[in-house]
Amino acid sequence: MRECADIERRLSRYLDKEMNDADRAMVEAHLAGCPLCKKEMSELARLKGLVMETERKTLPRDYLVCRIRESIADERRAIGRLSLAGMGIFARRLIPVPVAVIIVSVVFMIFTSMQPVTKSSLEDYIFSGRAATTETALELILGSQN
Amino acid sequence: MNEDSLYIEEFLNGDEKGFEMLVRKYQDRILNIIYSLIGKDRESEDIAQEVFLKVYHGLRYFRRHSRFSTWLYRIVANTAYGFLRKRGNVVSDESALENSVTTRKDPRESLSMKEREAMLQKALARVPIKFKTAMVFKDIEGLSYIEISRILRCSIGTVESKIYRARQFLKDELLELGGGSV
Repeated sequence: MRECADIERRLSRYLDKEMNDADRAMVEAHLAGCPLCKKEMSELARLKGLVMETERKTLPRDYLVCRIRESIADERRAIGRLSLAGMGIFARRLIPVPVAVIIVSVVFMIFTSMQPVTKSSLEDYIFSGRAATTETALELILGSQN
Repeated sequence: MNEDSLYIEEFLNGDEKGFEMLVRKYQDRILNIIYSLIGKDRESEDIAQEVFLKVYHGLRYFRRHSRFSTWLYRIVANTAYGFLRKRGNVVSDESALENSVTTRKDPRESLSMKEREAMLQKALARVPIKFKTAMVFKDIEGLSYIEISRILRCSIGTVESKIYRARQFLKDELLELGGGSV
């Protein structure tokens, strides 16, 4: 029985013609004298035949090629979109910069428009040849408080 | 240089026709292996497509230490494992058999074949993939144990054991489904 268990494990290999001559001769000698292993062998052979004769499917010649071409084209489009989206993210990150510049400009314009108009400009004062004190210079630059 | 190597060279030199020739050459073999492994018609086509997309993207990294077919079959096995891992065990969809293009012509033969096919596919679907893959490469694709051991990256003894176990599982499942002999 132990010999049968050992042979049974090797029947698949025997059936697949993957045995060396010595092992094959040993299996054949056993099969010749053991009806149980012989039955097991014929069942295995039938089973192998069933699998080998499985209905084979065939695809039209260019069926898969076309599907793959489409898929590769889709992948390339997706990569293209990803790049644009990447640029979009970069652009979005830069949006606060011009916004901040505009806000600062508007605030500056509002602030300066609230200042009273000076009687003379800094250039007029300089070209007049009068001596300038720190107070008068600041007054001209920042506007008169009067 | 063999045919596959020529196609690969063409592709790597920028001619996509080389890749398309590889697809045309192997598509039916790959489809039948995948169908035997996962048992679903429409999804088998999707997985075959996925396999070839992996080939398309990976061909430039293929080191030609092994044959192209060995590399391709390894991708097939890994992709099928991945699919089954994601989906759990897949039972064959018998209704899908109606829609597939087959090589049988006689309607009567076709009917009995379909019944037998359905039962076999159902039984095959119940065989654990870790054993079934080796058997499918042997019986569907006719590969040798040494080729299978290269694809599955295991010893020849392991291939022998896997095939033996797969056949035992299949026999038991067929007996259960058919209620009689194999």
